[in-house]
Amino acid sequence: MQDNNRLSIHSHSHLGRCIFLRFLLFSAVWLVLTGSEAESWIIGFPAIGCAVFLSLKLSPSSHVSLSFVGICSFIPFFLRQSSLSGIDVMRRALSRRLAVNPGLVSYTTFLPEGAPRIFFVNTISLLPGTLSADLQSNTVTVHTIDKNIPIWANIQNLELRIAILWRVTPQKGKAL
Amino acid sequence: MITLDNLGILCIVMGLPFFLTGTVGLLRFPDIYTRLHALTKADNVGLGLIILGLSLQADNLFTVAKLILIWILVLIASSASCHLVARSAMQKNIHPWVK
Repeated sequence: MQDNNRLSIHSHSHLGRCIFLRFLLFSAVWLVLTGSEAESWIIGFPAIGCAVFLSLKLSPSSHVSLSFVGICSFIPFFLRQSSLSGIDVMRRALSRRLAVNPGLVSYTTFLPEGAPRIFFVNTISLLPGTLSADLQSNTVTVHTIDKNIPIWANIQNLELRIAILWRVTPQKGKAL
Repeated sequence: MITLDNLGILCIVMGLPFFLTGTVGLLRFPDIYTRLHALTKADNVGLGLIILGLSLQADNLFTVAKLILIWILVLIASSASCHLVARSAMQKNIHPWVK
């Protein structure tokens, strides 16, 4: 009984902290987007309220532990890869004979459900030649524009970098 | 003379062909999935370069922060909507085009 009480008090304060942090985050976004005009907050506050409500509804837990080193190494990697993917698409679209050889690949990820997995699925679409077409529990269906590029290695590399970014330790026995 | 302004113009001019080829890909590629490739990837790089160009011409850091935030929001929106379009196509059993 006592334990239960403590637990609910703890989760209560956790929820409060959650709401507060998200409120701060969305306010910062609004401030940067609209500038310092005071009147914009007439729309801003209700919008932020809705955003906080929706975000709590869609992803209740906000236990995020990003690694700083992970972020520092991920940003250059991401910028490089997304530029390469833009150039890759450019080359394929402009080549005289269409340079596409599409196919589907299934990939099972060890990344845990929630933010890391969603982040993974979204970044796959920005990598050269791959696009995440479906997600069923831990299996991502990847559409590739060219079956000859090393999709498997690319996705595995991305997965490892995201694992470092979100401080996930690979559970080999579980994933494979 | 190379000024920040000119460098900015250069970045913007470099960004434009990406939008163009994104559209060319949209028209030329054979099916919904390959077209999604063209749209999301090319446009993200194009927008990135334009944002970079505009940031180099910006008056203050606040504007730079705003531009970068816009780029990040567009990245999130485009990769999420790309995934949603592809997923709904998969659920409707639209088979990918194969060579």
